[in-house]
Formats: sequence, C-alpha cells, structure tokens
Amino acid sequence: MTRASVVLAVSLLMCGARVSRAQSASDLLRQGVQAYQTLEYDAAAALLERSLRRDSVTGLADSLQTWALTYLAATELFRGQRDSAVAAFRQLVLLNPRYRPDELVFPPQVTNLFQEVRRSTKAVAVVVPPVSTVRTRLDPFKARLLTSSLADLTVSLAREDGTPVRELYSGPVADSLLVSWDGLTAAGTPADDGRYILRVMPRSPAADGPRARQVVLDVKQQPPDTLSWPPTPTLLPERTLTGPAVQTLAAGLVAGAAVVALPSLIAQGKDATGARYAVGAAVGVSGLVGFFARKPRPLDANVRANASQRDAWKRSVDVVKAENAARLRTMRLVVRAGPETIAERGSQ
Amino acid sequence: MRIIGLIGVLAFAAPVLVISQGRPTLAFRGDAGFVWLRSDTAPAGAGAIRLRGPVLGGEGRLVFNGFSVALGLSSGTLQATNQTSTKRDLIEGRLLVAARPLPWLEMSVGPLVRAYVTDAVTERWVFWQARARVDAPIVTSGLASYVELWRAVSSQVNLVAGAGRVQGGEAGLTYHPPRRPFSLRLAYRVDDATVRGGGDGSQMLEAITASLVVGGR
Repeated sequence: MTRASVVLAVSLLMCGARVSRAQSASDLLRQGVQAYQTLEYDAAAALLERSLRRDSVTGLADSLQTWALTYLAATELFRGQRDSAVAAFRQLVLLNPRYRPDELVFPPQVTNLFQEVRRSTKAVAVVVPPVSTVRTRLDPFKARLLTSSLADLTVSLAREDGTPVRELYSGPVADSLLVSWDGLTAAGTPADDGRYILRVMPRSPAADGPRARQVVLDVKQQPPDTLSWPPTPTLLPERTLTGPAVQTLAAGLVAGAAVVALPSLIAQGKDATGARYAVGAAVGVSGLVGFFARKPRPLDANVRANASQRDAWKRSVDVVKAENAARLRTMRLVVRAGPETIAERGSQ
Repeated sequence: MRIIGLIGVLAFAAPVLVISQGRPTLAFRGDAGFVWLRSDTAPAGAGAIRLRGPVLGGEGRLVFNGFSVALGLSSGTLQATNQTSTKRDLIEGRLLVAARPLPWLEMSVGPLVRAYVTDAVTERWVFWQARARVDAPIVTSGLASYVELWRAVSSQVNLVAGAGRVQGGEAGLTYHPPRRPFSLRLAYRVDDATVRGGGDGSQMLEAITASLVVGGR
C-alpha cells in the first residue's frame, strides 16, 4: 500500500466521522424533544445536553441551538433543577436577545421563568448585512442592535488599530435600534479603504451589564462614475477665408503679367508698342480691387451663431461640472461584515 | 484646302448642334479698338512700315451646352506713323467653332481671313487657327481675366514668298455687371506672321480692343 493510499483512507475515515457526528447532534435534539414530550425528563436532559456539546463545525445551527436550549431549560425546570433551567435560559438570551419561547408550546411556568431570566440578563446583539453598498451622505450603512432588556449603549466605529472614526449612537436601547453610518469619518470625508470595527458596548460597564459586541467591517471605496465633458461645438468660420482674396490677386497679377509678356512670347525680338502696358495695368489693378473686395472680414451672423453655441456649451459644461462634483462628494463604499463577536474586555 | 477645312469645321459643328439639348442662346459683341501694324514683308530694302489706326468690329456667337459658333468681322483704316500718306484698309473676318471641355478652358478652331487693301493691291492672309483660352475669375464670375493663345495650322498669303509661321495671343479682362444683360471687355492682342523664304520678313499686329457683349450668358 502506498503512502497516498494511506492518506486517502485516513481522510475518508475522518470525513465519515464528522458527518456521522453532525447527524448525531440533530438526532440527539430530535430524540431529546421526543423524550421531553413523553415526560422522560432525565433522558431528555441527557440527550439535549449532548446535542449542545457538539463542536462548532458539526454542531447545531443557531436556530436549533435556541430550540435545544429552550427544551433543555424546560426539562430542567420540570426535573426540579431550577438553577440549571436559569443557566440554560441565560445562555439562550445571550445567544439571541430577541428570542421568545412559543407560549403555545411551553407552559406558563416555563415562559414566566424565561421572562424573569431575560429581565435579569443584559444582552445585546448586532445584526448587519454581510455585504452592503453605501453611498456617502445618501445611502447609509445600517446595523440593527437587539437588546434583551433596556440597556444604555454606545455604538462606535474605529479603525482596526483602535483609532476612533465616528461615534454612531450613545443612549438607551429598549428593544432594538437601527443605527446608520453615512460612510463619513468625523472629519466629514469618506472612509478610506481598510478594516474597521463596529463596537457596541455599555456606556457604564457593570458586572451584570451586557457584554460588548463587535463586528469587523471591511470597507472598500469604489470611485464614482463621472460624466464626460460635452463635445466641443462645431463653430462656423467667423471671418472670410484668406485664400479667395489671394487667388483673386494672383489671377489679376498673372493675367496682367501675361498681357505685358505676350509680345515676347508671340513675336520674339520685335519691338512692340507700349499699348499692352495699359491693358496689363488694368488687369493687374482689377486683381488688386478683387483682393480688397474679398479680403478677410468678420462674418457677423456666424459670430452671433457661434456665441450662442459657445454659451450653450459652457452651460452644459457647468451642468456636467456640478453633477461630477456631486458624484465625487457621494463616494460609493462596499462594506463587508464579518461575524459578530464578543469584544475584548477593556477595548475601546 | 479651304473647302476641306470648312467641311471639317461644319462636320465638327453639326453634331454639336444636333446633340445639344439646351436652348441655344445668341450673343453679340461690338468692338472698338486701335491697331498697330509693323510690316516688313515688302521687297528687300524697303524697310519696315508702321501703321496704326482705329478699328471697329462685331461678332455674333451662337452658344449651346458649352459649345459655340462665332462669326466676326472688323475693319478700319491704318495710317502710316511717319506722317506720309501711306494707308491701308484692314478687313478681317473669322469663323470659330469652340468647345469648353472644362469650365475654365475653351478650345476653338476656324478660319481667319485678313486683308490689307491699298489702292494698288490687296494683301490677303488666310489662317486656319487652333486656339486655347484660359479663364481665371478675379471676383467670382463678375470680373474675370483671360489669356488666349493661338497658332495657325495652315496659312496662306498672296505674296510671292508665301506664308510661314503664324501665331498670336490675346489677354484681357471681362466684367459682367450684376443683374445686367451685358458685359464689358478690355483686351490686348498681338499676332505675328512670318513669310516663308523672305528672310526675317514678318507682320506684327497689335490691338487694344474695348468691347460690349450683349447676351450669351
């Protein structure tokens, strides 16, 4: 047998053991409930305690744990073990401060004992969405505080290294409270990327007070999409072109020169009269006249049309600028929440 | 030869008339000019004769779809410049068939007959011309300049020596006033005709012409 085969066999054995133990926890719970219903309280207590002793990997889910604890407390109460019943209910309150036993299932002596324990047990829980998207100032991050009884609490946000960021709430909480965070620091700037701790703690620590709870928040900024600048308008020419004027001048001058040079081309070596100069000058002057008639000049209608186009473009640029500034003010944050844990004693 | 040339011109003009779909238009031009003539075609030793004088003329032109047929006549009396009594009557007639392959280019062919008439003799030249004219607008189409060169593809003269190389050119200015049915033209032209076997015998004719053109646009 090779070494790989040995490792595979051992892994399968370990996995099989875990699965059988997970089935065993829920089976134990089911059997415990059945024993409770048949008034076999000793057997029920043993089965329920065993179901609650499973480790966290294969143990009962929170909802089943509350169920198991409620039946265990009722079983202990009917066994005459009031202290054990109180202990089970206290554990239940700490697990879920808002839990209430079903009065249709459990008799009044059980629910009354639970209410008594709940009033004397100070517990708080924090419920946050696993992932939430926050838009600063607009769409806040929300956390719900649940208390078993009236408690005076402080909800604060700090960086992972303990640097305070914001105090979100400070005051009494009777049953539940929705706490919002707008994504800003105390300085009014969007929170930087990083790990933060949302901490709920009693304002005045006491021995019988609720234990502080905390949730780790991973915050990541998402740059906002900004609008692109409006395209620059296609403007009309505001002056006539230089080209036609130069072409006019060139045509006149070339034609005038052609008049003057014509005898030299046609009848070389013969003395022509000066008559051609008169015509050549007339043609050249007409070119000059044409040049000045077509020289670049402002096109008032185009200037006016361009001015209105420019104004419209500037207005749209201002609108985009304002919109982008607003978008940049409202940074988008993605907040990923870790599990709720008990805060270390003395941590701030 | 002249008959063959005339047949050629008509053969060229006839299809043009047939295929033209636009309505033909007529243009008339009246010319008033001044001519300078330098002639040394006389027998050796006579020296060059210089004459000058006013000339009046006219031309009718039939225009259709970029083609035209023009028939012109001009005449005047030239006086010697040296105060002698020498004078010649100048009579000139021409027929041209023109086509405009490009908006700025006109090509034309046709015969030109020029006669210098004295009391004793008539000196008659006959040229078959091939002409090319380039128009260059100065201010849109209202004011334009043009240069035209021509050369005789065939020439005859009733001189003993016979006609040699004959060529010429013309350049000037046309102005069509806005919303007016006429246009004005100022032109300078020069022709040079040599005689064959006559040494350096030649005639050079220069002219300045002011014209009024009605219709034809």
